Amino acid sequence: MKVVACLKAAPEAEDIGTRPDRTLDLDKAAWKIGTYDLNTIEAARVLADETGGVAVGLSVGGPALASSKLRKDALSRGLDEFVVVSDEALADLDTFQTACVLRDALAGIDGVDLVLVGAGSSDVYAQQVGNELGALLGVATLNGVNKVTPAGDHLVVERPLEDAVQVIEVGLPAVLSLTSGINTPRIPGMRDVLAAGKRPTTEVSGLSAPAPSTDRTSLLAVEQVERAHRVVDGDTADVVAQLVDYLNSVGGAR
Amino acid sequence: MSLGNAWVVLPNPAAAAGLARGARGLADEVNAVVVGADAALPGADLTVAVPAPPVGALAEGYAASIAELLQARGAQIVLLGADVSSRLLAGLVAARLGTSALTVQGVAVEGDGLVVSRTAYAGLATTTERPAGSPAVLVVAPGVLPAQEEAGAGRVEHVDMAPAPEPLRVVEVRPKAGEPVNLAAATRVVGVGRGFADEADLRLARELAAALGAELACSRPLAEGLGWLPTERYVGVSGATIRPDLYLAVGVSGQVQHMVGVNQAKVIVAINKDKNAPVFGQADLGVVGDLYDVLPALTNALAR
Repeated sequence: MKVVACLKAAPEAEDIGTRPDRTLDLDKAAWKIGTYDLNTIEAARVLADETGGVAVGLSVGGPALASSKLRKDALSRGLDEFVVVSDEALADLDTFQTACVLRDALAGIDGVDLVLVGAGSSDVYAQQVGNELGALLGVATLNGVNKVTPAGDHLVVERPLEDAVQVIEVGLPAVLSLTSGINTPRIPGMRDVLAAGKRPTTEVSGLSAPAPSTDRTSLLAVEQVERAHRVVDGDTADVVAQLVDYLNSVGGAR
Repeated sequence: MSLGNAWVVLPNPAAAAGLARGARGLADEVNAVVVGADAALPGADLTVAVPAPPVGALAEGYAASIAELLQARGAQIVLLGADVSSRLLAGLVAARLGTSALTVQGVAVEGDGLVVSRTAYAGLATTTERPAGSPAVLVVAPGVLPAQEEAGAGRVEHVDMAPAPEPLRVVEVRPKAGEPVNLAAATRVVGVGRGFADEADLRLARELAAALGAELACSRPLAEGLGWLPTERYVGVSGATIRPDLYLAVGVSGQVQHMVGVNQAKVIVAINKDKNAPVFGQADLGVVGDLYDVLPALTNALAR
């Protein structure tokens, strides 16, 4: 089975600074493959191994995708090859734009059986690219998939809803958006990192996105709730007494 | 200010049923498409009732027909809930209408159009955006739109639709295991993180939660990875977002991805043995101490 894992690079949230005027400072933030996309790579690897197939990464985005470190990192986590669509004009796309470019990029990959998408990107977390991509491709589409089992010419998947779990047979090709708990991504070892250097990355150019669905009028850091920042340290009995007093004072203890 | 019409789309009658009452604040006329409806949706002027999908099919299979209907009726705003099925239906319908399904934190009418606010950079930032085309397709979590009083005209129109022949078949629906969890409703929450060395040690947090009358929550590794707690108890970007009166973080380091889920709590108290843990930067009161000493003593003191 040929499995394509769709991946989005985003700046590391821990390293994004906020200025007093609530604008953001991205200078120190390295771009990385999204946290939840690591689950996608893992799922693609496992399915490829179970079916004697291949796991292909596919990423659409801006110049951040040119980073060889980022590409090697993605490959070292279990991809056989990586297809990258990187263009200044493709930075900061919305979900429909992303889905359109992914559709066009997938048209250039032969024999795709299954497209996997993460629970959400680690920056916007809109959770819609997979759903919209499936509609554009006109194939079986599901979100919230927590388990995928190959069964001959189709898959059996589990999809937890709010109050129940659906077990669904899915014909191929299909687009599945996963949960962030579907698996535990492997941590690449030295051998994986070395092997990653030898695996192919294909650059695709000439793809364009439709107009955005919205006009953005502002982007500002979330207003922080004022915190007291009191810290207590020392003897357990003493700090617990202070803690109980504090909880009583804010009405937190009953 | 309000627009001409809003359409609420529900994959089943129970999904985000409060949306119609919220939509009234955005549009003069509120209509709904409800799969499996047998009555008018409270708050809607017109409910288009679509038959429940045949056994084995999903309501999401109606996406193409629903998109067609919305286009034919000149929908200006399309609203869906944030549950799993509604989210899928939103994306499937939006793509067929040539637009993005927008997950919004806020929505209002300003001038002659909509203004939505959305989350960016893992919840560190918020954008303000104006949907460019019509209709705008919005995914709206409970609580985003304040409910309006107006009951709606309550007309019902039955429209026959057949779900698209899809290579999908639901072969089993089983109830979810475990106790129901409603973190969003809890006024006090004890959140646990990797400071706990062993699953059995969570007993300390459970006892504290019981003494406080609090719900138990956790950071991502405890729910996804270690699997010590069900995903319903996980707070963070890909989990729940809560605004309790008190959030007591125990052994939680305070990573952005977790804290965006609780940073609107009224009071945040943190217990961590690492005095440099980022969680202290976001707490009203920080206790530098070993949770294995502090928790039993605190539970005892509260029980007294």
